[in-house]
Amino acid sequence: MKLNIEGLLVYFPYDYIYPEQYSYMLELKRTLDAKGHGVLEMPSGTGKTISLLSLIVAYQRAFPLDVTKLIYCSRTVPEIEKVVEELRKLMEFYAKETGERNNFLALALSSRKNLCIHPEILHANIVVYSYHYLLDPKIADLVSKELAKKSVVVFDEAHNIDNVCIDSMSVNITRRTLDRCQNNVDTLQNTIQKIKETDAAKLREEYRRLVEGLKEANVARETDIYLSNPVLPDEILKEAVPGTIRTAEHFVGFLRRFLEYLKSRLRVHHVVQESAPQFLKDIFDKVCIDRKPLRFCAERLQSLLRTLEIADIADFSAVTLISNFATLVSTYSQGFTIIIEPFEDRTPTIANPVLHFSCMDPSIAIKPVFQRFQSVIITSGTLSPLDIYPRILDFRPVTMASFTMTLNTFNVCLCLVALSSKFETREDFAVIRNYGNLLLEMSAVVPDGIVAFFTSYVYMENIVASWYEQGILENIQRNKLIFIETQDAAETSMALEKYQEACENGRGAILLSVARGKVSEGIDFVHHFGRAVIMFGVPYVYTQSRILKARLEYLRDQFQIRENDFLTFDAMRHAAQCVGRAIRGKTDYGLMIFADKRYARADKRGKLPRWIQEHINDGSLNLTVDETVQLSKHFLRQMAQPFRQEDQLGLSLLTLEQLESEEMLQKITQIAHQT
Amino acid sequence: MASLSEEVLLVVKKVRQRKQDGTLYLMAERVAWGPEGKDRFTVSHLYADIRCQKISPDGKAKIQLQLVLHTGESTTFHFANESSALKDRDATKELLQQLLPKFKKKANKELEEKNRMLQEDPVLFQLYKDLVVSQVISAEEFWANRLGGINNTDPAVVNNKQEVGISGAFLADIRPQTDGCNGLRYNLTADIIESIFRTYPAVKQKYSENVPHNLTEKEFWTRFFQSHYFHRDRINTGTQDIFSECAKQDEKGLKSLVIQGVKNPLVDLLSLEDKTLDEGYGICTTLPSTSNANKTVKESSNSAIIKRFNHHSAMVLAAGSRKGVFTSLLTASSSETSSTDGNSRDSDFFQPPVKKVKLQEAIEYEDLQRENRPKTVALNLKKSDRYAHGPVPLQSQHYTTSQDIINSVNYIRHEMMNYKPNLTEVLSSTAASSAIAALSPGGVLMQAGAQQAINQMVPTEVQGELKHLYVAAGELLRHFWSCFPVNTPFLEEKVMKMKSNLERFQVTKLCPFQEKIQRQYLSTNLTGHLEEMLQTAYSKFHIWQTRRMMRKT
Repeated sequence: MKLNIEGLLVYFPYDYIYPEQYSYMLELKRTLDAKGHGVLEMPSGTGKTISLLSLIVAYQRAFPLDVTKLIYCSRTVPEIEKVVEELRKLMEFYAKETGERNNFLALALSSRKNLCIHPEILHANIVVYSYHYLLDPKIADLVSKELAKKSVVVFDEAHNIDNVCIDSMSVNITRRTLDRCQNNVDTLQNTIQKIKETDAAKLREEYRRLVEGLKEANVARETDIYLSNPVLPDEILKEAVPGTIRTAEHFVGFLRRFLEYLKSRLRVHHVVQESAPQFLKDIFDKVCIDRKPLRFCAERLQSLLRTLEIADIADFSAVTLISNFATLVSTYSQGFTIIIEPFEDRTPTIANPVLHFSCMDPSIAIKPVFQRFQSVIITSGTLSPLDIYPRILDFRPVTMASFTMTLNTFNVCLCLVALSSKFETREDFAVIRNYGNLLLEMSAVVPDGIVAFFTSYVYMENIVASWYEQGILENIQRNKLIFIETQDAAETSMALEKYQEACENGRGAILLSVARGKVSEGIDFVHHFGRAVIMFGVPYVYTQSRILKARLEYLRDQFQIRENDFLTFDAMRHAAQCVGRAIRGKTDYGLMIFADKRYARADKRGKLPRWIQEHINDGSLNLTVDETVQLSKHFLRQMAQPFRQEDQLGLSLLTLEQLESEEMLQKITQIAHQT
Repeated sequence: MASLSEEVLLVVKKVRQRKQDGTLYLMAERVAWGPEGKDRFTVSHLYADIRCQKISPDGKAKIQLQLVLHTGESTTFHFANESSALKDRDATKELLQQLLPKFKKKANKELEEKNRMLQEDPVLFQLYKDLVVSQVISAEEFWANRLGGINNTDPAVVNNKQEVGISGAFLADIRPQTDGCNGLRYNLTADIIESIFRTYPAVKQKYSENVPHNLTEKEFWTRFFQSHYFHRDRINTGTQDIFSECAKQDEKGLKSLVIQGVKNPLVDLLSLEDKTLDEGYGICTTLPSTSNANKTVKESSNSAIIKRFNHHSAMVLAAGSRKGVFTSLLTASSSETSSTDGNSRDSDFFQPPVKKVKLQEAIEYEDLQRENRPKTVALNLKKSDRYAHGPVPLQSQHYTTSQDIINSVNYIRHEMMNYKPNLTEVLSSTAASSAIAALSPGGVLMQAGAQQAINQMVPTEVQGELKHLYVAAGELLRHFWSCFPVNTPFLEEKVMKMKSNLERFQVTKLCPFQEKIQRQYLSTNLTGHLEEMLQTAYSKFHIWQTRRMMRKT
């Protein structure tokens, strides 16, 4: 159908449209009009991607000078491929409707293997790739830095974007890293020696360049051609590379000294935590390394590797890591922490020292993106509470809206079971048994597939062992086959496939899985692959970790976000992700069971997305296992009735005429829940 | 009685049955026992009829073996040879153990079919009770022409029968019981053994390698239950365990499955992430240090359980679909080589279409498209409420409310007020009065009413009994009449038997019923028609018999 979104002609490749899709496009258009950033939450299965693509492509066609490019970032490879498929569908629709082949160029990058498409990116109208290509400075520098300013950037499935940002700026150094780095440095020295004998001019040329400094990069940044690199601080662009590391040999010597220093730091017997300035002071005191050369380290190494014409950069990953660390630690006095742990907490007898250089401020990595591009859209099925993302990513959105799924009947039955699993009591025999009973009862009631999520892998292992001893698993096996996520991705993939097979052939199966795990983040359980999803406990992050503690402190001091608020927010977004895995559309239905009484509390409930909160009513609170079973039985029988399009039309599914009616337009404006 | 062609597999002398000495014979298709000094068997059971054998516990004074039949009857043999009783008994047991399962399949299938027929057809079940249980005719006679349908069908159809899957919990069904002296008893049935074999081909292989040359069956299963293999949380400790190899084989199979990878790209966690974080970057909370040395015993036992569950479920699933992992597991080593060297992975070539289809499925919004799939018939529930809640007791809603009554009265009154008789199209008065007469009690059209009266006079319980008698008699008569024309010796024999069956029916069933109703309802002759039918049969039989005598003389 062809839509009129506030005067913009939008081709939408379907016969019908969901009201929330229309509303979503409306908000999106307003964001683009304002040339600002937006935060939009809409549950999965409501056709978010096609709405985004339809509107932005229409916008690009209508205002080719205002929006030159769409950069669509998603998280997983299948997600990226789905976007490409939807785009293809849209383009086919354009071709059919307008009678002309679209001259749009769309490009998808899905693996580093096809990384040398650099010039093509500049010409493509639409680029689809993974977050990292934009957020990870190491890759963004190669792939994305020349993307035009007038681009619209979309981060889909963005509920974890802060973690991606933090990951891209954090470094871990182990003894093994240092050993490999040592080898790298040795190789570098040998290569330099060889070149000196054969082609000394090359090194002289490099020296000359370094004297000139990084002027080129500076010009580019000032004239706004490049996306700036958060690793490359502004100041150093204006300066020449310091003399101490200008010659290749000096630089290698410098690296050696730095390496020896790091080795000495790893020889600790107790945990050390310090800030970047403390670290810099210490390194100056001990080995007289100045802050300035450290800041040039990453850039200097790149130059050297180029000069030496080293083909396989992957071999030099260790030394690259170390020099990136050097640059970061000397550039940012805030937003990072250094933690050196002599051993793992679980195994205090085995020495395995690690230096964690952890980024605590996700806004550092994403800052260039917000600064450079005129519109950045953060969107996902779970972004609640909406206002927290602008705070932790440090940006000002022009629109923030949350949409729910319009339905003629509820296709979700939500149960909050009053079971306790506080950290202190969760090893309790009774708690584990209650969990088991819930799963056992549900396995007898729910058809086909059930997915159950636990708060952590270790916890799941323990529960599985207890359930095995108590004979609960054997009883469950009478109803369904059991598959369990393991820490091995290949093994889990196989279990997943078998799980689907068992759902498909009617035997029915249960998948035991872990919140924050790969399954909870990337696998959909549509229709019969997930008729019920049970969240056992509240998936709080492991709070004993020193890195997390440091981050919480930072959030409190810098953003005035209370520790508990952040932890609960984080737990709730993961819980929402887990239970949302089973409902992937309006024709889908399923049970969402939160098996922990803490979910009933206002501070937890309030942080769930609107489309989940909507299903919470008095009848679904504080249930016993028996009541849950009764509710489920009733719900499943209702859902077994045929789903008909006629019932949906006019309510949760609209024709063009229905959409254009005054009354409906009014209703639709209310769908978007502004904050 | 023993026909010469029968092969005798085992002869055991000095076996007592019902306190009588005799000899036990195990033949190719049946087990038989004859009393000493006599030339015939007083006990003979086809193997197919035997459900199971039971033996007296070791240490009991009497060494016995009991055969339980599918019918529920049982026969007990007491091995009385002083010197070799135990040996005799065990020899018998072992042989039976090998023989019974062979017949079991067939017997089971038949039995299942019979069972199903009886369960699905209450009339047939009643008939079975009336005729077989009360011993009017034997079970074989009863089934003789009913099962025809089953046995005569195309063998291909029978063979193509859907394979029954394996219960995921079959191991759970082997509940150990304590035997009172610090031991555990596991009760194994042939079904469970089959489930174990089908699910774990490695165990089957071990079984055929070791039993009976190295181990007796009992020893084999004892070791099985003691092995870490059965107890999933135990970690493999020694290598002397014959099942450690099974575990290794399982491991290998699992590994090869994992290496083969998954067909559906959407569940492939390995290629889920566009992995761009290099080693050393990121907030990795758990560094790759999961070497076994670091794990506690408990942790590795936990992960062993998880592995086993995944493996078990995969195996059960595979056993259900017959092919699948089963074969691929056994040929694990060969497929491994072909899939690891990279070049030979032709499958990669075929991957994209699967992926495309899966992606298309994933992005499809069927409800956003105009429906153009074939119309299906929806289940039309008159009261979907009842479907959702289950039956509910009668409630007041079945009574009409006073408002309803008032409304209908008003409606009728309204109708009556506007009623205009159409006088040109009415019946003549004579025709009308004869119609009224015909419809009055005793009238021509009310004949059925008289029988109804009887129906109402006789209590339902007697009615039911009468119905059963009719059905039973009908069945017997059907057998009887089906013998005519009597043109083979077999039919001759059958017709004689059927006649005596009818007589027996009359004596054991019909007469008591007659007496009963005569005691209660002297006047009514409910069974007249039944007797008439029997008499007709008898006279037919007499005519046939006299003719036969005449022909013979």
